[in-house]
Amino acid sequence: MNTAVARRTALPFSILVVAAVIFAAPLVVAFLTSLKSPSEITRVIALPNELYFQNYAIAYDRMGRSFLNSIAITVPSVIFSLLVGAISGYPLAYMRGAGGRVVYFFLLTGMLVPFQIVQIPLFFLIRSLGLYDSIPGMWLVHTAYSVPFCTFFMRNFFASVPRSMYEAALIDGCTPAGYFWRLLLPASGSGLAALAIIQSRAIWNDLLFAITLTTSDKATPVTATIAGFASSLQVEYGPLMAATLISLLPVMVTYLLFQKAFVRGLLGGAGK
Amino acid sequence: MPNFQLMRRKFQTAGMTHAIFLSLPITLFAVFYVYPIVSTFNLSLHSWDGFSPTPKYVGLRNYVVLLNQSRFYHAVLNNISWLVFLLLGPTSLGLLLAALLDRGMKGESVFRVVFFLPFTIPAVAVAAIWRWMYEPTSGLLTTILQSVGLGGLAQNWLGDPSIVNFALMGSMLWWTTGFAFLVFFAGLRNIPVEYIEAARIEGATPWQVFWKVSFPLLWPSTIVVLGMAAVDAMRLFDIVWAMTNGGPAYASEVLATQMYDTAFGRFEMGRASAISVYLLVIAGLIIMPYIHQLAKRVQDAEAE
Repeated sequence: MNTAVARRTALPFSILVVAAVIFAAPLVVAFLTSLKSPSEITRVIALPNELYFQNYAIAYDRMGRSFLNSIAITVPSVIFSLLVGAISGYPLAYMRGAGGRVVYFFLLTGMLVPFQIVQIPLFFLIRSLGLYDSIPGMWLVHTAYSVPFCTFFMRNFFASVPRSMYEAALIDGCTPAGYFWRLLLPASGSGLAALAIIQSRAIWNDLLFAITLTTSDKATPVTATIAGFASSLQVEYGPLMAATLISLLPVMVTYLLFQKAFVRGLLGGAGK
Repeated sequence: MPNFQLMRRKFQTAGMTHAIFLSLPITLFAVFYVYPIVSTFNLSLHSWDGFSPTPKYVGLRNYVVLLNQSRFYHAVLNNISWLVFLLLGPTSLGLLLAALLDRGMKGESVFRVVFFLPFTIPAVAVAAIWRWMYEPTSGLLTTILQSVGLGGLAQNWLGDPSIVNFALMGSMLWWTTGFAFLVFFAGLRNIPVEYIEAARIEGATPWQVFWKVSFPLLWPSTIVVLGMAAVDAMRLFDIVWAMTNGGPAYASEVLATQMYDTAFGRFEMGRASAISVYLLVIAGLIIMPYIHQLAKRVQDAEAE
């Protein structure tokens, strides 16, 4: 019996192993490269003869500040975008009739907008607000451009909360706003967690707004710095791989830690 | 006994509360979506370098000029190839991996993490890593070909106009398959085991069970994956910009990178705006049915 099962899963298993090796290879090679001295770097597959941490020192030197900027941009932007998504999703989940549907459709169309169409006016708008090359400017922009997706996500999440809870709360003397702040929001931890993970990836990884709206050490996030690093004429792959690995670590670790919440959130969003 | 009068008053204040809540997202949407889009449209009717005090009105000339440029058509074609590729490539690979893994496979959690991890990486990091993979003399791809005696097949992966798009798509496949994989994987887990068991008892092969039972039930997941793929294909910018900057000789250019180069490289703001209006129209035509579908689900749910 067991051997029959083993034989049946042998082919899928070997396909999965091959796929996993291919998926892991670029990251493994990048990691090995980041630990090699310039003289060894062209021996791609070999292990480093001795660990060369100098690459990380160079990388830190060139992008340490922007790493901090990325944190300062991402954390508040995620919180604001969740809040706005919840504020917007709540009425849309509970409103009946055409009004709510029209607003919902209107906000959802934002999901199809390629950001290039807002890029030029946004640049001038942010500059005239005095927010060009500033971290609060990035908060505002990331929050605003998260409205469609966060609305979509939170509306669907709230719609899955039984409506009877809402009606019971109103009968017990709760105001609609009180229900939202005191009952619904505290009970929405899993949805908010899943959205927080999705949003931290989207905001941390953003390049377009970063290169359009920041220019100096004051506000440039790590993605823009790496893009500049990589496009210099003589690319040094050792320090570049070190910088790259540092830049991807926060989101990757977040996903590994909160995998379950993310999958649950996806199921909630996709399963209906 | 519930106080009905009080309840009615409560539902009336609900209307007020809803309006107050919605005013913030609607304001943000108006300021950051509606205003810039209208303003881009207006700018597309002008000729402007971004510095001079007054843009010059040129009517539809920017649109007409673009229609006569092979560079523009080439970018449109590239966007369409990306659309086809993103709808088919990561979707089918993700589905395959999810289907293979959905059997209580040993090492399941390891596979899941390995397939999904690339998706968490910033586009610029993907670009940096893959530029190193594709490095023509000592990158991983060339090294592997040489080590199995096929060194003659090695190419200047990102430097050859006829290869560059395939090379970019390879890195994109690595980057985005994890998302499709995870959505399908979660979707498969959502299918009640009894359905699968019932089909098996009736003698269906695993192949039949998958196509006749699981796959149709995965439709909600498929919609999510395809919708996201279409949005990504239209927004595509980071990977191309960071890996090739649209080159060599515009070969890998998409509308978004062409627009960026036109606006911030050549300072032709009107022309760039016209490119982005074309992009919005194309994206609208392709993605609007999807958005309509999402919004319609609300109506269906309310009608129940």
